[in-house]
Amino acid sequence: MASAVQLEHVSKRYRIGTVETIALDKVDLTIAEGEFTALVGPSGSGKTTLLQLIGCLDKPDEGTVRLQGQDITRFSANQRADLRRSRIGFIFQFFALIPVLTAYENVELPLLLSGVKPAERRTRVHALLKAVGLEDRARHRPDQLSGGQQQRVAIARALGPQPLLVLADEPTANLDTANGQQAMEIMQKLNQDTGTAFIFATHDPRVINYARRVVTLTDGRVIEDSALAEHAV
Amino acid sequence: MPLHKLWVLAFRDLGRNRRRTLLTMTAVALGLALLMVMNSFIAGIMEDSLQNSIKLRTGHLQLRAPSYSEDERSLQWGDLLLDPENLIAQAATLDEVKAATPVLWANGILATVNESAGLQVYGIDPDSPVYDPIRTALVNGSFITPDDRSGILIGERLATMLGLQVGSKVSLTIVDSEGQADEAIFSIVGMFATGIPTYDESAVLMPLTKAQGLTNTNRRVSAVVLLLNDQQATSEVVAAFRSSGLQVLTWQDLNQFFIQTMQTGMAFYVLLDIIVMLIVAVIIANTLLMSVFERIREMGILSALGMKGRHLMQMMLLEAASLSLAGIAIGLGLGLAAVAYLATAGIDFGSSVASSGGDAIALGSTIYARFVPDVYVGLSLATLLITLVAALYPAWYAARLEPVAALREA
Ligand SMILES: Nc1ncnc2c1ncn2[C@@H]1O[C@H](COP(=O)(O)OP(=O)(O)OP(=O)(O)O)[C@@H](O)[C@H]1O
Ligand SMILES: [Mg+2]
Repeated sequence: MASAVQLEHVSKRYRIGTVETIALDKVDLTIAEGEFTALVGPSGSGKTTLLQLIGCLDKPDEGTVRLQGQDITRFSANQRADLRRSRIGFIFQFFALIPVLTAYENVELPLLLSGVKPAERRTRVHALLKAVGLEDRARHRPDQLSGGQQQRVAIARALGPQPLLVLADEPTANLDTANGQQAMEIMQKLNQDTGTAFIFATHDPRVINYARRVVTLTDGRVIEDSALAEHAV
Repeated sequence: MPLHKLWVLAFRDLGRNRRRTLLTMTAVALGLALLMVMNSFIAGIMEDSLQNSIKLRTGHLQLRAPSYSEDERSLQWGDLLLDPENLIAQAATLDEVKAATPVLWANGILATVNESAGLQVYGIDPDSPVYDPIRTALVNGSFITPDDRSGILIGERLATMLGLQVGSKVSLTIVDSEGQADEAIFSIVGMFATGIPTYDESAVLMPLTKAQGLTNTNRRVSAVVLLLNDQQATSEVVAAFRSSGLQVLTWQDLNQFFIQTMQTGMAFYVLLDIIVMLIVAVIIANTLLMSVFERIREMGILSALGMKGRHLMQMMLLEAASLSLAGIAIGLGLGLAAVAYLATAGIDFGSSVASSGGDAIALGSTIYARFVPDVYVGLSLATLLITLVAALYPAWYAARLEPVAALREA
């Protein structure tokens, strides 16, 4: 498979006053297209920071980030916004829907940003809501949906622009076992059907079980990277 | 992103905190309505005073001898017009002219047994339609006739001040063309109440021929006063008399002091307009800034979805525009209702306020608001503009948020 993202010697430091934290320390990591990868490690090990760099939300202090071979390390804020819009989907631990928009409109929003034509937009939104089992909740506002349902809307929204990869930061942390499992199964199916790569930052063993590759971070370094054989869930 | 979709987002955002949105809209609406009422009143005062002055005192145009000076109210023969009939006949040939009448002005002192008062004596042609407003304003007695030998008209207020009734005899002293003080006894035949205190306190009307006799001016007059069918036609009539060699004074010239005073006053009201606008702007800026602060994480999500700073800025400006337009609509409604009421009912400020303007300002004691649509349009646009300017800082703040920092916000 072609590489979706390539990190070379990527470092990220945060400074609060005189205290400097090294969140990522010369990380080398390649994510191939269509992967379904878990990013694990103790709290503070740099998982979120890594997702933010992969997702073009932030810039590294050192090293190079390539998206489909293109060096995006020095991209401007607007260029990075364009990359996020067209190639990256985000799922957050908090359900991150826009509260004033219905489920349908939340899924539609990134398509609007990408200038997808109305007919095509309608088809895609309906298909995605169907894929996450929420066609009958299209007109509901987030506060009229359960946590599990909200997270499924967020999954549908992330997939709308048919991105290269979806980054999910602890997507199941606020879900009970059944809902967590349902969300993972939906993502797994979408990964298989669309070929979109998924990367999860997680502590949740149930999520790790779904992964086909597990990257372990500690103190901002990759200490283990294991591709798992196809295994039964 | 299509603008109308951003607009939907902006519009729904306003629905989140309905109370705050309503309060802000109310502030915009009240601010605008207040300014509308204020400006309508000023327009009413200006226009009414001007029209009162034209109607009762100056007319639209005056023809005077080249050397006549209003301040001196000279009665010297050389400063007067000898043959007003020719001018009046010439004026009568012009379509724009409604009426032309000769007038002789003099300063006088009216004395009763106990009191006296300085006055303005008007020698007039009682049959002229120019004096219709005073005929209408007659409250006691009857109007003077051209051959009245000792009858005069005075204002009801002056009569009250001096304790005079219809039929009362008074002594009137005028300094004549030779500088001699001439005194004569007159009897009050009627009283008028024009509603313009300065006029009702100081004008004494008598037939022109009587005034000419008293002042020794023979058949001379101070001026010929012209009333036009349309104020806008002034310049055409001026042109018609340009070659006469006389002073041709327009209502603008004749009310110059008043117009200047009003313009000076306007500067103060513009300042008041600006202050009200600034208050509205601060309220809008505060509301939008609060709504940005409450939504920082959401802005982070929008940014993660690929929305650019520019879009977030547009969204905030659209929010401000919606807020402002709704407030303006309500304000226009409120303002128009208030102005409609005040244009018919008016506000009675009492005569002391009206007199305080002095001689040059013919202020009625009841002031009516006047519809000034172009001013309302201007105020509405200014309100919209200032709210957008006030929204710039919150919008810029939203635009420059770092997505990573915004997402971390609890
Ligand atoms: N904005 C920031 N300012 C300062 N330090 C930060 C900032 N963001 C992260 N850090 C620090 O960088 C390190 C990595 O943080 P990161 O959030 O990436 O960890 P994580 O693996 O996602 O942790 P968790 O599992 O708790 O979410 C931590 O030590 C954290 O305190
Ligand atoms: Mg984290």
